[in-house]
Amino acid sequence: MNARRWGGSNVVTQTLAQIGACGLFLLTLLAAVPRSFQYFRETSRQLWFVGAMSLTIIMVCGLFVGMVLMLQLYHVLSIFGGTSASGMVVALSVYRELGPVVTALLFAGRAGTAITAEIGLMRATDQIAAMEMMAVDPIAYVATPRFLAGVVAMPLLCCVFCAMAVFGGHLVGVTWLGIDNGTFWSNMTAQVDLRTDIINGVLLKSLAFGAVVTLIAVYQGFATAATSEGVAHATTRTVVASSIAILALDFVLTAFLM
Amino acid sequence: MSQPRSSYAIGTGLFIVLGFAALAYLATQTTSVANVHQGASYTLDARFANIGQLKERAPVKIAGVRIGQVQSITLLPGQEVADVTLSIDQRYNKIPQDSIATIFTSGLLGDQYIGIQYGTAKQLVAPGGTLVFTKPAQQLEEMLGKFFGAGGIADNLGGTYTVTARFTNVGTLAAGAPVKMAGVPIGSVQSVHADPLKLDADVTLAIDKRYNQIPDDSAAAVFTSGLIGTQYVAIQPGGSPDALKQGDEMILTQSAMQLEDLIGKFLVNGSPADKQAAGSVPASSSTAGKH
Repeated sequence: MNARRWGGSNVVTQTLAQIGACGLFLLTLLAAVPRSFQYFRETSRQLWFVGAMSLTIIMVCGLFVGMVLMLQLYHVLSIFGGTSASGMVVALSVYRELGPVVTALLFAGRAGTAITAEIGLMRATDQIAAMEMMAVDPIAYVATPRFLAGVVAMPLLCCVFCAMAVFGGHLVGVTWLGIDNGTFWSNMTAQVDLRTDIINGVLLKSLAFGAVVTLIAVYQGFATAATSEGVAHATTRTVVASSIAILALDFVLTAFLM
Repeated sequence: MSQPRSSYAIGTGLFIVLGFAALAYLATQTTSVANVHQGASYTLDARFANIGQLKERAPVKIAGVRIGQVQSITLLPGQEVADVTLSIDQRYNKIPQDSIATIFTSGLLGDQYIGIQYGTAKQLVAPGGTLVFTKPAQQLEEMLGKFFGAGGIADNLGGTYTVTARFTNVGTLAAGAPVKMAGVPIGSVQSVHADPLKLDADVTLAIDKRYNQIPDDSAAAVFTSGLIGTQYVAIQPGGSPDALKQGDEMILTQSAMQLEDLIGKFLVNGSPADKQAAGSVPASSSTAGKH
């Protein structure tokens, strides 16, 4: 589990070792999926924790992202007399990029860190070792349920985020700045495509981000050095690695899906 | 696991339901599936030769006020005519039968909407009826063409008569520039000089005697051939029975358009009043501006 076992002191080889260990850990996780079905209750509890408990921050952030996006676009587009297109631009930019990416970043901060800290503390207090002694597979009981919950929760959270962003854009654009309501929706519906924007943009991207963020969080939790300092470092690494992975993967996915 | 299982189940269930509700909202309300209803409404048909960029759910306006939206746009089978169905608020059901439906553009780059101008008929158009009088969307190319006209050099002039016109700004108009009516050269500019008292430009136009039937309320405007072409004087005939004579002064003039002003007017979609004027007045008649 500890990457330092394989990597030397070199930063590059260490990073490669981390990625490799993370990939191997993913295989272990997936192999444990059938066994983790007996812990369905744990999976549902994790879904409640990473999903339902993240709703508040996702909704509030989505609302404000939509509002500020509309405000900025309105002032730029009014130079060209194109303010009626602002609703469409808000929807497209949120569906294609901002929705999945910002939701994933928030998710990493809200749920990823909690997962890492929880598992890290389990390791630090020898709960993982205790599970093994009781013949409970810690991967099937601790890791896989969290991973599955994250993969399921992210697309749903992203949908909520996007809906709130569109609502926020409507609030500012139509209610406050006076864009015509019908124009707002007609431009949006004319340009937003179900397959390329909603399915490829919102759902597929957020599914991939959910898998990456929870994988990194769970892996970092298991790779934690069993000290309180180690838990702190692991939590930090989760956020840093998740953010980089999200933004890099976003570019790759956009390049392939567009 | 201190809490009973049911609280997780309810919270998780709510979360999943909310997530899927949001997905359904995104998929139906913000893509081209759904239709927004705005209370009781009735439909009218209007047939256009060209709808330009008009889209479904674009607004329908009377006097600039939204009264409904475009419900559907279909091509009449076998004809080169677009059939546009308008869904109009039940409150505005007193539209005269000879009203004119026109496709306007909000600003140069804005999107298009349908404006209805009331006719004078006593008979009202019935719900489900058809607006017979329509004006198709103005193509930007046509509009620009009307604005800028075409270049050319005046005919060889036989006898001419001269009229004067005063402009507040002649741009780069110089003596020898063509005078055109309907795009055809009919004379040339004889002299351009500033008036020391009235502080404007006094332009003398020499017009071919063949064209001696020009109404004396015609307008003179300084136009540019093409975006960066030379400037010329365009005469737009008025409706007066009396013709222009030697030495007359043309009262209605329009000064040279500065390209910067023009683009500014086009692009900056200012107050609603500007918008209406830009949309409803055809390009050629907006030249009767300065008096």
